[in-house]
Amino acid sequence: MTKRPSSLASRLTRHYAGAFALFLAAAFIALYAAVSALLSYRMDEDLSEDIEEFQHFYHAGGDSELIAELQKEAATEDPEETFLRLLDGDGKVLYVSNLHYWPGLATRPDLLRQVRTGNSDPVLHSDHFDDQDYPARIVYGYIAPNRVLHIGESTEENGEILQVLLAAFVLIALLILPLSWLVSRAVARRAVSGLAEIGRAAADIERGDLSRRVQLDDPGAEIQQLADGFNAMAERIRSLVKEMREMIDNIAHDLRSPITRIRVLSEHALSQPEDRALIRNTLSDTLVECDRVIHLINTTLDVAEAEAGVGQHLVEEINLSEMTEGVCELFEALAEEKGVQLNRQLMPGRRLYGNQGNLQRMIANLLDNAIKYTPAGGHINIHLRSDNDGIQLVIADDGGGIPLQDQSRVFDRYYRGDQSRRENGCGLGLSFARAVVRAHGGEISVSSAPGEGSTFTVAFPPASCAN
Amino acid sequence: MKLLLIEDDQVVADFICRGMRESGFQIEHCADGVSGLNCALQNGYDLAIVDLMLPGLDGIALIDQLRAKKISLPIIILSARRSVDERIDGLQHGGDDYLTKPFSFNELLARVEALLRRASSTVESTSLSFADLNIDLLARTVTRGDRKIDLQPREFALLEYLIRNQGHVVSKTMIMDRVWNYQFDPGTNVVEARISKLREKIDRGCERPLIHTIRGLGYVLKHTDD
Repeated sequence: MTKRPSSLASRLTRHYAGAFALFLAAAFIALYAAVSALLSYRMDEDLSEDIEEFQHFYHAGGDSELIAELQKEAATEDPEETFLRLLDGDGKVLYVSNLHYWPGLATRPDLLRQVRTGNSDPVLHSDHFDDQDYPARIVYGYIAPNRVLHIGESTEENGEILQVLLAAFVLIALLILPLSWLVSRAVARRAVSGLAEIGRAAADIERGDLSRRVQLDDPGAEIQQLADGFNAMAERIRSLVKEMREMIDNIAHDLRSPITRIRVLSEHALSQPEDRALIRNTLSDTLVECDRVIHLINTTLDVAEAEAGVGQHLVEEINLSEMTEGVCELFEALAEEKGVQLNRQLMPGRRLYGNQGNLQRMIANLLDNAIKYTPAGGHINIHLRSDNDGIQLVIADDGGGIPLQDQSRVFDRYYRGDQSRRENGCGLGLSFARAVVRAHGGEISVSSAPGEGSTFTVAFPPASCAN
Repeated sequence: MKLLLIEDDQVVADFICRGMRESGFQIEHCADGVSGLNCALQNGYDLAIVDLMLPGLDGIALIDQLRAKKISLPIIILSARRSVDERIDGLQHGGDDYLTKPFSFNELLARVEALLRRASSTVESTSLSFADLNIDLLARTVTRGDRKIDLQPREFALLEYLIRNQGHVVSKTMIMDRVWNYQFDPGTNVVEARISKLREKIDRGCERPLIHTIRGLGYVLKHTDD
């Protein structure tokens, strides 16, 4: 049992919503990181500036001035958030603010050593204190020889800002993500809905409704293309089935007539068994009808084969001029008998790549057709010529012509011009001709006016020609 | 002349055997490929008629085996398959001629005789005649009695074919194929028209017409029918 593929719509939804969530998270992380970095940077800058300011105070009024300012500063600041210490070069504390909230605060000798010479910028580091939720940022800064300032500030404010930012994002995400999921799902479903409709139509056709087509309401271009292709295919299936049914009906009908005749004639002859002449005639008639049936069956198969391009691999170089001349000669006696004049103007040496038997037969069918529908005293003109567009064979008669409404159907199977004239034809001659011409890459057309005759033109493209 | 028929359809086989015997041949019949091959290998025959769709061993395989054993027995293939591909296949495997079903007995007979003629390679005469009709194959002239008759090339070929098959009926399809090399039945009266014209020239004003039409079968060159 093959695994049923997951729904395209839900796949699309997951992917879109997932991608969106990913990008949203990435954007938030980037923003958070930037804000965090900015806040830290600003804090460090402030601390460094403080060191500079206090340097000025010391230069202005020595220790007393400095310490006075330090006290002022400590008074204005929240001791929970800030501490200040003044140390000499050995770490002796010259001033310290309220350290109640800073248990365990000690001097870092390495950092003291680093800045007390005055050769270094203020050194900053972070440290975490037990009672505090947030780490503190601490600076050691050179004031003067033997004077180092040790200042610390809690990052609580910054931390709270970032907390708010995070909370805001979480809230936004909680709102947006479900919404984005819903929107993705709606869009994906809409995009894919056309496909479900096409699937339903296919199932209907499979059940036998050959006229079912797909009509979509504003689908994407690709889905519309698929729908159009589907409709075209369905139409082709319908018309093929119809053609086949018609062909079968026609064959059945065409077979029924000769067989009925045989039956009737045989019954009649059997009823008069002493009449030898009648029996002989009946048997002759039977043979004639049998030949008619064989001819019909064979020709039907030949047309189908020609249309399917069977036998086209048996291709050789054909002298079309000679072949046409040969066929004309063949029909000369018949034309004479019917009082129809056969004129030909054939460019010599026109060569074609093709199947000899089929081409011969095609020309014979066209000529036979022309003779059949041209009354005594009429003329048939046959031209064979070539130019840059390839080779053209034109057979024009001045017979009765083809009625306008029939002209598009003339090459269809079983089309018979004058329904009353059965003769030997089975209505397949022209459809065979067209199938052969097309199998050779060419096209056949007719132009006709009732009462003025018909002109059949066979055109082979340069690609089929051999010279 | 002894013929071998290898055909599994009893009705068709009876028909062929009867017709051949009436035409003066001896003929034996095998109904399947294996016994047919055995008979042929005994090599007492002048010609074999082989159906392709046989039980036991099919026609093509049978011919293959015969030819592999260097037996040059002339073979006419009978088959319901008409496509050109199948025809070529049959001939390439070693058949000498190919006749599709349904076939006319006269055509089969004519082909048997033609193949036997070829096989025995008698010297071709340069003139043929029937009754007071005479044709010279080299000079391409025709005379009836002392009247010289003017014929177009196609008409000459047609008359030659009729004279070679004198007394035997030849069908329209045989004429289209053997005389003019068209492998199809135009379904129209092309042949009839040519025959009429020929008849006009040959039998005109003569008491004893020689060219006859047998409806349903074809045409024959013979004396006035019974």
